[in-house]
Amino acid sequence: MPYSSEFILLLHPALGVLAIMASIWTFVELLNAKSQNLVRMRLASVTSAILMWATYIVAGYWYVTLYAADKALIKAGPWPLAHGLFMETKEHVFFMVLLLATLLPIATFSDVLGRRGVRHLAMWIAALVVLTGLAMEGSGAIISMGAKLALLAKTA
Amino acid sequence: MATTTEIDAASSHQTTEQAVGATVAGFAWSYAITSLLSALLVVVKETFKWAHDLLVAVTGHHWTAHGVVVILLFVILGFVLTQTSMAKTASAGQIIGLVVGSTIVSGLIIGGYFVI
Repeated sequence: MPYSSEFILLLHPALGVLAIMASIWTFVELLNAKSQNLVRMRLASVTSAILMWATYIVAGYWYVTLYAADKALIKAGPWPLAHGLFMETKEHVFFMVLLLATLLPIATFSDVLGRRGVRHLAMWIAALVVLTGLAMEGSGAIISMGAKLALLAKTA
Repeated sequence: MATTTEIDAASSHQTTEQAVGATVAGFAWSYAITSLLSALLVVVKETFKWAHDLLVAVTGHHWTAHGVVVILLFVILGFVLTQTSMAKTASAGQIIGLVVGSTIVSGLIIGGYFVI
């Protein structure tokens, strides 16, 4: 399939932003936590975790098998920091995002209605998934720009 | 004026409400420890070639091996720490501080290393 690597590359931030949105959904449900929305809250948290794991698998496959060419391009271009700082940080901070997204349903499946502390903790975890996830998205944009600028420099 | 029994009941209710439960606390502790160790592993493998090569030897790529270590550590530590008295009595404030703090510190260690 032509451009399959580009499709895989585009898929990972799409899955990531859907995971972030599911975490926002979880946060909002937690703000108004009651028995009537408990099932929906837990569904949202599980959705966020599943989507984040899907992001990890797709992004990991692309990074391990296809990133090497882009890496060489970026490092030789006008924005080597796009790899040296942003990609290196992103690929390792992502493990924390993945674990936070996994921790979220663990929190929501606890006594989130009976214990205010659990509800607050779950809200903090959801917020951290959103903030760190957005940091991943922003870093990815910078890395893509690094590749683009490197290609433009080659044609100039 | 509240009796001793009423004061004890209120205190007990407050303690119960502030506690998060062993499972959540255990896995939150696991997250905190794993994220910090992961950050330190980044520094070690990027500094020492033998560490980088060791991870490559395990799965063929250092990042894949790093991920396997992180995930296994999180799961195993989580189940182990859930059984501890520390997890059973952990308060929400403690755990929230732990999770937020470890996220910030780990992020700073990783980002800071590559800035330098």
